[in-house]
Amino acid sequence: MSVIEVKDLTKDYGSGRGVFDVSFAINQGEVFGFLGPNGAGKSTTIRHLMGFSKPQKGETYILGMPTFKNYYKFLSKVGYIPGEIALPQGLTGWQFIRMMQNMQKVHNEEQLSKMLKLFELDDVVLKGETKRMSLGVKRKLAIVVAFMSDPDILILDEPTSGLDPVMQEVFIQLIKNEKERGKTILLSSHIFSEVDATCDRIAIIKDGKIVSEFIANDLKHASTKFYKIDFLSKVDYQEFNKICKDGKIIKVLDKSESELWVYIAVDDKHINLLIELLSYFPVKEFSNIKETLEDYFMKFYKEDKDFGGAL
Amino acid sequence: METIELQNLTKDYGEGRGIFDVNLTIKKGEMVGFVGTNGSGKTTTIRNIMGFLKPTSGKAYVDGLETWRNASEIAKHIGYVPGEIAFPDLPSGTAFLKSQAEFYGLKDMSFANSLIEKLQLDPRANLKRMSKGMKQKTALVAALMNNPDILILDEPTTGLDPLMRLAFLDIIKQEHKKGKTIFMSSHLFNEMEDTCDRVVLIDHGHIIAIADMDKDVRNRPCKDFKIEFKNKTDYEKFKKLKYKIIRDQEQYNQVTININNNEINKLFKSLHNYDVKFIAEVKYTLEKHFKNILINNKIMENKFKEEN
Repeated sequence: MSVIEVKDLTKDYGSGRGVFDVSFAINQGEVFGFLGPNGAGKSTTIRHLMGFSKPQKGETYILGMPTFKNYYKFLSKVGYIPGEIALPQGLTGWQFIRMMQNMQKVHNEEQLSKMLKLFELDDVVLKGETKRMSLGVKRKLAIVVAFMSDPDILILDEPTSGLDPVMQEVFIQLIKNEKERGKTILLSSHIFSEVDATCDRIAIIKDGKIVSEFIANDLKHASTKFYKIDFLSKVDYQEFNKICKDGKIIKVLDKSESELWVYIAVDDKHINLLIELLSYFPVKEFSNIKETLEDYFMKFYKEDKDFGGAL
Repeated sequence: METIELQNLTKDYGEGRGIFDVNLTIKKGEMVGFVGTNGSGKTTTIRNIMGFLKPTSGKAYVDGLETWRNASEIAKHIGYVPGEIAFPDLPSGTAFLKSQAEFYGLKDMSFANSLIEKLQLDPRANLKRMSKGMKQKTALVAALMNNPDILILDEPTTGLDPLMRLAFLDIIKQEHKKGKTIFMSSHLFNEMEDTCDRVVLIDHGHIIAIADMDKDVRNRPCKDFKIEFKNKTDYEKFKKLKYKIIRDQEQYNQVTININNNEINKLFKSLHNYDVKFIAEVKYTLEKHFKNILINNKIMENKFKEEN
């Protein structure tokens, strides 16, 4: 049984907005990345998973139970960070933590102090009112609250937006640790490096539909590699291009005769042929251009990036 | 005359907070990035450049004018996007942009309109109800509409989704191409790598390092390559050749070597005799560059302590 499951979820807000037939499942101990620009349907999906919204069609499950009807059963089991943090008015940091502990019905002081230390929230900060806190401090407080009951399931909607690089690194280490401890984690994020460093599988959502779901390592260890080769002479450049003309083994994707470089794609199974070829050509520079998660993501959005995510 | 010049700039808030003895010059047409953790002094430095703060000691100059005394004069030449955007009490984005145009004495709105179009911004929206992305777009239009020579951007892309960030960076890159001088802080190293000529690292109010992106990161004379062999024999044989091995993963028949660009032909000639599974470059990044500097600083510090 999947720990988290979204099945044919549809919520139509009209004018093409909402989510449509979204399905994915997350197994125990998995970190699942959820990528998409604002307005693509990430938060809508997550809010259904948390049981805040009723699906029009389809269903969302946590531990096999439909979430809308059973949300109160999960309060102690699911750690949640909302995309937009609105803390209740007139509370100090401490009061907010205690209030949330009562809601979660878990008072794990050891875990709490561990989390506070990890995210450098001290007594002075926590005695202050939440509304005076900076964005970064509010974010850190939300992370602490989500993890303080040591829940088995974590649903995190852009948890690190606005955190500085050091704190982002701390967060990545935390996720890796929790994963090792067998936690099941859904992570929606705009920060590709963070998804890259933590996720086992990744889904990309566009206009309310999942357009790609893949195993993170497949992208990292893609067998087709891209190289840029700078030649020393025009003769070599032209000769190389002539040899690669049929594009069967070495595919020239881009080139510049004035600057004497080619940009090629080669599958790993042909790498020895490329090496042999290059052992005959004096090369000025050889570099490998990686397709990053960001490049891959952008492919799905490139054709209409001018419209995406706006307003 | 430098476009932006900080001379021994200090703003001491006590208890070690603030910025201390900051020196930095930015030439006309340069794009300089600014990184550091929250509380390291980025915004304090930027607010001194804008002339919003009186330095405890030292001076900040923009176009040769001391900023604290000439804040209203330099404001005319600088497009500024603050880190935390607080708009005046106006009903809509349109009203705000019009008031900005009036402040600049700007009549021709064609450039502003082209930006609005590029950003797909509907400025008629209520200022208070705007999402973070919309606020940032509105602030960017306001900052650029007067076509200023200098842009000062305090974390303009924080909190934006990837598409908006791309649209933002495209506009900033274009302004850089037009010859604008740009100073921009950010938490994302990769966006600095793509855009900046130099990147400044600040920590606890002190400038720790300044990376020259072309020299220090993009066009380094050597590269690291990870090579995996199909069999142990080739892997062992390759290791006997005198390449500089920086990482050895025996279980995968994998080595990572550091090699000068001009030795690459030699490498291919060597590899020609082996059965290679793949060859991939391990990229040197700005993040690595700064980490190395911080680690080296720590080592030096410890050495210094030991010696004393």
